[in-house]
Amino acid sequence: MGALLLPILIPLIAGILSLLITKRFRILSEVVVLWATFFNLVIAVLLFKNNLTVSLPMTHWGLTFSLRLYHFSGFIMLAVAGFAALIALYSVVFMKGKDHLNQFYGYFLITLALTNGAVLANNLIVMLFFWEGLLLVLFGMIAIGNKMAYKTATKAFIIVGVTDLCMMLGIALTGHLAGTLTMSKIHLPLIGLGNLAFILLMIGAISKAGAMPFHSWIPDAAVDAPLPFMALVPAAFEKLLGIYFLARISLDLFNLIPGSWVSIVLMTIGAITIILAVMMALIQKDYKRLLSYHAISQVGYMILGIGTALPVGIVGGLFHMINHALYKSGLFLTGGSVEKQTGTTNLEKLGGIGTKMPVTFACFLITACAISGVPPLNGFFSKELIYDGALERGWIFYAAAILGSFLTAASFLKLGHSAFLGKLHESNKNTQEAPIPMLIPMIIIASLCILFGVFNYLPLNNFIQPILGTARLHGHNFAGFPTNPFLVLMTAVVIVAAILNHFWGVKSKGSAIKAVDHIHYAPILSTIYEKAEKRFFDPYDIGMQVAQRIAEAAFWCDRKIDWFYEVLTVKITFAFTHSIKKAHDGSYSTYLAWSLVGGLLVVLFLMFSV
Amino acid sequence: MYSSLILIPFFSVIVLNLPFRTLMKKSAFWVCIALSLIQIFAVLFSPTGSLGNLTEMFFSFLRVDLWIDNLSRIMLLCIGIVLFTAAWVQKELSKDEERQFNFMNVLLLLLAGLNGIVLVRDIFSLYVFLEITAVSSFILIGFNKERDAFEAAFKYIILSVIATALMLTSIGLLLMIAGDTSFATISATLKTSPDKLLAMFAVAIFLCAAFIKGGVMPFHGWLPDAYSASPASVSVILAGVVTKTVGVYTLIRIVYSVFGYSPALTLILLIVGTLSVVLGALAALGQSDFKRMLAYSSISQVGYIVLGLATGSMLGLAGAVFHLFNHSIFKSLLFVNSAAVESSTGTRNMDNLAGLAKKMPVTGTTSILASLSCAGIPPLAGFWSKLLIIVALWMGKFYAFAIIAALASILTLAYFLSLQRRVFFGKLREDLAHIKESGFGFLLSMTILALITIGAGLGFPFILNSFLLPVKTISGG
Repeated sequence: MGALLLPILIPLIAGILSLLITKRFRILSEVVVLWATFFNLVIAVLLFKNNLTVSLPMTHWGLTFSLRLYHFSGFIMLAVAGFAALIALYSVVFMKGKDHLNQFYGYFLITLALTNGAVLANNLIVMLFFWEGLLLVLFGMIAIGNKMAYKTATKAFIIVGVTDLCMMLGIALTGHLAGTLTMSKIHLPLIGLGNLAFILLMIGAISKAGAMPFHSWIPDAAVDAPLPFMALVPAAFEKLLGIYFLARISLDLFNLIPGSWVSIVLMTIGAITIILAVMMALIQKDYKRLLSYHAISQVGYMILGIGTALPVGIVGGLFHMINHALYKSGLFLTGGSVEKQTGTTNLEKLGGIGTKMPVTFACFLITACAISGVPPLNGFFSKELIYDGALERGWIFYAAAILGSFLTAASFLKLGHSAFLGKLHESNKNTQEAPIPMLIPMIIIASLCILFGVFNYLPLNNFIQPILGTARLHGHNFAGFPTNPFLVLMTAVVIVAAILNHFWGVKSKGSAIKAVDHIHYAPILSTIYEKAEKRFFDPYDIGMQVAQRIAEAAFWCDRKIDWFYEVLTVKITFAFTHSIKKAHDGSYSTYLAWSLVGGLLVVLFLMFSV
Repeated sequence: MYSSLILIPFFSVIVLNLPFRTLMKKSAFWVCIALSLIQIFAVLFSPTGSLGNLTEMFFSFLRVDLWIDNLSRIMLLCIGIVLFTAAWVQKELSKDEERQFNFMNVLLLLLAGLNGIVLVRDIFSLYVFLEITAVSSFILIGFNKERDAFEAAFKYIILSVIATALMLTSIGLLLMIAGDTSFATISATLKTSPDKLLAMFAVAIFLCAAFIKGGVMPFHGWLPDAYSASPASVSVILAGVVTKTVGVYTLIRIVYSVFGYSPALTLILLIVGTLSVVLGALAALGQSDFKRMLAYSSISQVGYIVLGLATGSMLGLAGAVFHLFNHSIFKSLLFVNSAAVESSTGTRNMDNLAGLAKKMPVTGTTSILASLSCAGIPPLAGFWSKLLIIVALWMGKFYAFAIIAALASILTLAYFLSLQRRVFFGKLREDLAHIKESGFGFLLSMTILALITIGAGLGFPFILNSFLLPVKTISGG
């Protein structure tokens, strides 16, 4: 039973330890982070496929610290542990010589502990505790980046804080409706207030996953925060956690059915996120920033898949979650290698380094193909499942998803071409391949992308499909090659179209980095892009402007109230004072008259009262 | 024994002025101090009840009955404390032995008059002692023989004469109706008298007389001049006890023990009280003379006492009496402060002062305490008495008056803050750089008064139970 506490306690203690270790004993903190993540991985492997619960009563009014390990949470924990171990290995080399090392490792491990806690929690309050804790370390991790990182950290903190508040309300409402906070006991229908509770919880979940409109801190963090953070948190942990919770509320806590309007809402959010984020990714000129927009766009597929509420869509969405975590963290790691070896991620200063860094290039190639949905890599299979579900619910969602695929492929063609191929940029002449400890994680991840694609029955049968259970699957098995030839054909057409588009673009504009300029500067799009680049559409900035207006209005009201007290009241008071002063003219007769009139009134009044 | 509180001051005056006059010059001050201290201690440790009569031993046909109850005790205590203070202030102000001797003699006469007012049980003796007090006050106001002081004294005389005339008429009418002048008889007769109209006329003009003597609006014309033009020590006595005893105590005694309440009378008291509270505070806000501001503040505070009295409830009366006591203490303290400031800087005009707190720390601190107490800031004594009055008004269902009384506290705070800011806070003016803290007599009396106002605030529950609530026993005759 106590074994369930280990995945929380080990990283937590190690994290606190590495916060305490001073800079002089850097080696020690590296040892701590490697061993802690390794142990965590071992524990996750051993615990997987077990069913355990821990229940410690905490308060007399019924809040229990309860954890539950079952198939779903074990799978997420395993994935989290795997990424943590790989990225820890990568970071030890990447972060060498950077500032705030002890803080980075400390937050890294505490993030791991809290993620494990949030995944294992079987009580909504306990989950909220870990969930909010993640917000805290998220702030810390971004803030230790470059000099302007604190602004991004604040932005992330506010956006995620607001959505977490929504989730908190959702949890309260859910608890009120269900009469319990134990997650395994909650099964609510999606009617009346249940819809509201679902939407509130969903906002928390998709915001954690980074969907629009809660995404705008991620591209900023890509530039400001340390790179391993990007590979670890927005690319892997937050997707896993957010989609995990979204699946939990859709499958367990509530029963999402295809006909409900909530399902339409989810699919719409998914479709919009796919299109808008990938449009933004397309025009980026920075390796990391481009990737970060894809990290947003891909969430759209997962939400779209789960939103269909069809078994095929949900399996696709969850499969896409793990696939995305793989190839996106792999892509970020290749970005980190490039940054480490060349000192820049600006695409205009890169070019032709494919020959200098062949292993990195190969890993990039595999992961980029995976994200573009090239068969037989993992991304292809999960996307096909999602297409299947989307097409069944409505052609418009399918159209959005397939358009997203086209743009994704186009943007990765641009990225790969301008960074790794073409003419060698002058400043990259002496570039060398990244050190082995950084290559190992990339190679492992790239191999997993192939493995999960070619042998897709392995993850699907062992990890994904048991989550839904045989009853929900109605005897389907989605492993193997897609059964719908139309969808496969369309995917092939889209990829070929993307390649043609790319070469046409390169030829007409003359360089790989300008390959998508004909989209960027298309008549209407160019103005939209221009405004988007100036953050006209950033919900955070809009929110801040609204807050500014409200603050100004409140200030105006405050001044008026102040005027009432400080000017008007004082003026009236002094008007009285002045007239009273004037009345006291110091003459006997006045004072006598007052006294006599007053006396007369008193006498008359009392006499008439008899 | 209590008859000696009246007799000893009289005989002291005689003894001091007999052939050994030159020898006695120095001792006059100490006689005053000793008498005030004896009075304070005698009051604190004495039983209540009949005291026999004052004049029996001289004239068997003229009896002046004396009686002490809890209200009288509190008044005697105030008189003792304020007289003690005033004597010290006068000692500091005037180094001329002859003048000091004369002053102390008048002060002793005043003491006898005040004690008499508080102790007597019939309306005519009350009048006699009122006159003794009034005449002593005229002399004291004009003591420095300045033009302003004479004008002020003259104003006081004129209005006081009107009050006297009204009071004598009333006494005559009451004697006619009741056949006797003792409180008990008049009280009993008024309840059963067939001639209600005449009785009410008598009551009404007596009330007017008390209003004039107490200086409530609109009968206050003499008060600001008298307070501000008289010597500092006299302002302390006038504000501290004379007006309070002559006007307010008389009002309380007459209304509560003799006339009894009627709806009309309650309404009159409420209106007069509210007028005084609000107009007094507004007028105070516009003053730039330190003492004149305090004078208007006195009017405002007396308004509160009248409001408390108006409720007629036990709580209201307790509040009124406590506020009477508190006002004696903090207003005396403020007048001592103003005297200290005037003696150090030579001016009372607040526009010519600033930043004195640094140079005169004791004066500054005690004046803040007194101001806050007056404005009703907890836990100082003034807060509790105002609270009692406002609560009593509310419980008596006089909601509008309660709200006005509570809001007027803000005005009180406003003018006191303006006083503090103009006199004690801020940057010290360059022409005041040389000034020094005031002398021993000032410091002693300021410290004692400030300690009393803090102590009465902190020990409020004890005071409420042992001094204020027993005041209810004075009812009837």
